[in-house]
Amino acid sequence: MGRVWKFGDDVNTDVIYPGYALKVTEPDEMAKYAFAEVYPEFSERVNKGDIIVAGKNFGCGSSREQAALCLKYVGISCVIAKSFARIFYRNAINIGLPVIELKETDEINEGDEIEVDMEEGIIRNVTQGKEYKIKPYPEIIKKIIDAGGLIKYLKEGKNV
Amino acid sequence: MNGTVIEKIIEEKAGRKIEVGEKILLPLDLVVMRDFGGPNVIKKYVKKFGEEKPLDASKIAFTFDLHLPARQIKEAENQKACREFAKKYGIKVFDVNNGIGQHTLLENGLIKPGDIIIGTDSHMNLLGAANSFSTGVGTTDIVAGMRFGKTWFKVPETIKINVEGELNKGIYAKDVILNIVKEMGSDGASYKAVEFYGDVIEKMNMAARITMASMVTEMDGKISFFPMNETAMDELRKYTDFQKVYNADENAEYAEEYTIETPSSPQIACPHSPDNVKSIEEVEGVEIQQAFIGSCTNGRLEDLREAARILKGRKVKKSARLIIGPASWEVYRDAMREGLLDIFIEAGGVIINPGCGPCLGAHQGILASGETAISTTNRNFQGRMGSPESFVYLASPATVAASAIEGKIADPRKYLR
Repeated sequence: MGRVWKFGDDVNTDVIYPGYALKVTEPDEMAKYAFAEVYPEFSERVNKGDIIVAGKNFGCGSSREQAALCLKYVGISCVIAKSFARIFYRNAINIGLPVIELKETDEINEGDEIEVDMEEGIIRNVTQGKEYKIKPYPEIIKKIIDAGGLIKYLKEGKNV
Repeated sequence: MNGTVIEKIIEEKAGRKIEVGEKILLPLDLVVMRDFGGPNVIKKYVKKFGEEKPLDASKIAFTFDLHLPARQIKEAENQKACREFAKKYGIKVFDVNNGIGQHTLLENGLIKPGDIIIGTDSHMNLLGAANSFSTGVGTTDIVAGMRFGKTWFKVPETIKINVEGELNKGIYAKDVILNIVKEMGSDGASYKAVEFYGDVIEKMNMAARITMASMVTEMDGKISFFPMNETAMDELRKYTDFQKVYNADENAEYAEEYTIETPSSPQIACPHSPDNVKSIEEVEGVEIQQAFIGSCTNGRLEDLREAARILKGRKVKKSARLIIGPASWEVYRDAMREGLLDIFIEAGGVIINPGCGPCLGAHQGILASGETAISTTNRNFQGRMGSPESFVYLASPATVAASAIEGKIADPRKYLR
């Protein structure tokens, strides 16, 4: 279960992870820069397991993988959005950060407690008592996430 | 099989029937990183694999196109790390005297129709103009691609865009695609491939196709393709030999289909989004301090010729700076031989090293607060070219050249009589 951090449409990679911090390589430090410019207290206030819920086109803009990494490192367990920008989506999968598409994100509020059951394909909004069906991941994506990311998956040699 | 271009390319690589929407591991023909993304890749590679060799060094390349030559010690160290890693494993480095990665790779014959290419650049997909499937990715994909020679892809749906109408005087590929980005919106082609058709598209040369293809990123398209007709094949043969090209079958199935007219006036993307597009009549007269002609989107010889046509015998307004960045050293040298550089210098322009610098506020031509630029680049997010309090308008080389002369956004058509 995680608490919801709510965002709007077209949250771009510069907003998620500022360009000037691209030289940072340590996970703990990278976590500090999550939304640093627009939401300076974000990294301090996030609890492990919290969930980001957003509108359409989350993660648009550059190919910087730090945008997905900083969210994982800061403790975000999952990002739910109406849609994701293509490169952010694959970067998130590749580093093992679950990303879920859900059309009804407008119904979810900041601070709601949410439970994501990937096995059953259900998102439960515990605060509002609502449930949403989600499409299960295609098999290869599920395997990559289960392995903890693309490199671990390919290393295990479970290649198609 | 009956399919769209991307379906045919993927099916051939997969060696089996595929389905749209399927996620699939595919072999890579080329894995590319830049002087910017490269150091992160190397760090991660060494951390994950230590001394293990990349699968096939001949399918990996470094393209230096951002900080050329290095302006700070940190950048110099980064470039050194790339060079040393490359030397250790026999990987090609296109160093500071080459230019923008995609253009360099194309000119060096490394891109063939049907190739699958990944790179640390969200505009890798402009190589769709060369009939390849080339796409921007993050560090992990590159590391995996280097070590294992493959990564996963979603077989995308395809959008068909028919472009109708002619290119009237002062209207170029950039105006056509800005108008399309406006119609489609910033996520209009998300996860999807795009195919462009129409008489005007058939006639477009590689430079114009590259302009169109690079801007497909700004509607979140995965890749775009153009009809590979005889002219297009001849142009590509200048750089590389190839056996076949990939065109869609007549009964290919498209997820969406649109017909979009060519615009009747030059188009301008206004701050702070590439899909905030207006006709020149609505923005004429906005004062500018900087005009930039270049980038992966509009830095080819044909683009410089259009700018030179307008700048010949004229001067850049005192209140403005004109910066010209050829896409590659080949373009740079050709522009010199044709006398275009002379025209730019006479006009008061600054010619910079072929590279990406000004487009993303990385090098050579950063904007101060309150300043406005008009640029032939592809993205005008807030702070893209420098200060978060600066403004960027996107336009064709002709419009940017005309604006440089007047020190304000100007219609190029009056200089083309």
